[in-house]
Amino acid sequence: MQNILVVDDEPDVRDSVKYVLDRAGYSVRTVESAMDAFAELARHPTDLVITDIIMPQINGVEAIESIRKAFPSVRIIAISGGGNFGVTEYHPTAITTTAYLASAEKAGAHLVLTKPFESVELIRSVEQVLGVGHA
Amino acid sequence: MARLRATFWIYVTACVVLVHLVLLPALYFGMGYVIRESHEDLFVEHARTFSRVLADEFEVGAAMDSQKRIEDLLDFAITHGGARYAELYDRGRSVRSLYGSSDIKDARSTDLSFGDGGDGIYFVVRPIEHAFHRAELRLGFDEQPIQERIQLAFTRMIWLLAGYLVVAIATAIILSHRLSRPIQRLQAVSRAISSGDYTRALNVNTGIRELHELAVDLEAMRHELVGVNVRLEAKIKEKEISEVRREELQKQLRHRQRLETVGTLASGIAHEINNVLVPIILFTDSALQDLPRSGAPRANLERVLAAARRAKDIVKKILTFSRELDEAKLALIDLREVVAESLHLFSVLAPPTIEIRTEIDESIPLVRADATLATHLLMNLFTNAYQAMEGAKGVLTIGLRYHEHADESGISRPRVEFWVSDTGRGMDAATVERIFEPFFTTRSVGQGAGLGLSVVHGIVESFGASISVESRIGVGTTFRIFFPVVARAEVIGDPTPLVA
Repeated sequence: MQNILVVDDEPDVRDSVKYVLDRAGYSVRTVESAMDAFAELARHPTDLVITDIIMPQINGVEAIESIRKAFPSVRIIAISGGGNFGVTEYHPTAITTTAYLASAEKAGAHLVLTKPFESVELIRSVEQVLGVGHA
Repeated sequence: MARLRATFWIYVTACVVLVHLVLLPALYFGMGYVIRESHEDLFVEHARTFSRVLADEFEVGAAMDSQKRIEDLLDFAITHGGARYAELYDRGRSVRSLYGSSDIKDARSTDLSFGDGGDGIYFVVRPIEHAFHRAELRLGFDEQPIQERIQLAFTRMIWLLAGYLVVAIATAIILSHRLSRPIQRLQAVSRAISSGDYTRALNVNTGIRELHELAVDLEAMRHELVGVNVRLEAKIKEKEISEVRREELQKQLRHRQRLETVGTLASGIAHEINNVLVPIILFTDSALQDLPRSGAPRANLERVLAAARRAKDIVKKILTFSRELDEAKLALIDLREVVAESLHLFSVLAPPTIEIRTEIDESIPLVRADATLATHLLMNLFTNAYQAMEGAKGVLTIGLRYHEHADESGISRPRVEFWVSDTGRGMDAATVERIFEPFFTTRSVGQGAGLGLSVVHGIVESFGASISVESRIGVGTTFRIFFPVVARAEVIGDPTPLVA
């Protein structure tokens, strides 16, 4: 059974993702911040991290870069609802979902997924990143 | 104390009259004196000369010895000497001419002056030396004719003086009028200048050098004034324009800031909603998998899922729009093609009650834009227009033209104007002001998310173009988009499609 760690500051998001992936046969743990994620990764062997990008303290992009350095074997999926959150100046062409996710990809995420997504999309993405047949 | 001021010609005329009031009596008395004196002198001279000649006649020869001769000489004095009375008095004996006036009784013995005695007779008494004794020749000359002549001379003089006065006054009036005419003209122009009309030239044609020079000086002053005025007006206008421009910029800035604020808020909300939608969709999905194929709970949950997907679509619209702008590839495109394609798409959607008219220029230069986004933009405007005319007949006019437009600094810039005009409900000023804000809508819930025009605004901005709205309640609305035209040199210098 493969281990997945879900990192998101929204408990509802964490729980629903865990619920879907649990039912799909994965072993899922959840944490609410990047700091907790590092501790969790150090404690338990993990195959995949699903992380939000816009989070307080350490944001997802930084978290991905650190995870890629410390745990190179761990696969990563970045998820984000996007928007110009936290950007002081609004500009239609400035940082958006696409931009966030693009920077996540650049930081080392193996796949990016925009919120909200359906169960099927989530499971397919996880399978794709972990390689089909590893379930 | 206020000084009495009269019109120039009245002033001059009054002065002339006043001078003559003093001058004319003096002239009258002076000339009268001369007339009187000269006439009297002549008269007296004649009387005396005649008397002396007659007396000599008595002295020489033997006139005194003949009574007849005495009488003849005395009669001669009356008939030819102009005397009215002639008497020879010799040692108590008196001989008088019978031709003389009988009413003159007494000849005075003294040499009287002219006009004396009140009898109208001038007496001359002349001694005659004869045979060693003295006799007296007494002659009386009538003053009446000379008095009449003096009177006549006076009458003529008065007429002459009166004529002179009339001529003097007339000359004064005419001269003063001639003098005051150029002055009045100068006055009229200076009045016009003081009331703000600087355009009237001081063109005074006068033979008076001082006035001519004054006019020339004033004209020079007026020129200077016009120059100063023009410069001042230009300055004021410049200031006004910069004021208007400043206000316009401030308005644009406020508008932009509000769009930015609302935009930031909208993205924030989008993010939050996306987070909320994750558990709704995932849990509903999972629950549906556990439920039997039919039944009320399943139907209900399917509706929850459908609603969540709709919510997702709404949010996606905001973010998709951002992504589209992110990915926009600006290139030189032909707007006529975009209009044609959009019209083709729109004709399928448009209800038959709407008549579509086009006013498209033959020659439209290329503009820098993204064809897909431009189509999106046009479709948005068309949809907006036909929704404004919904349920009624209406005319949708689509125009495309190329023209030069002077910007704020007065430089003429070529641009392509695209407009969409409807005959729909129209909007009030408050609505127009907020029309480009995201989520601002006048439509009822379910008809639209109110994103259309904020999307339009974003796309227009990404092209470097500008958009304006004119609307009148009950008349309709016109949206105009102005695309800057890229200079030909730039196009030639960069033939490859321009990528942003």
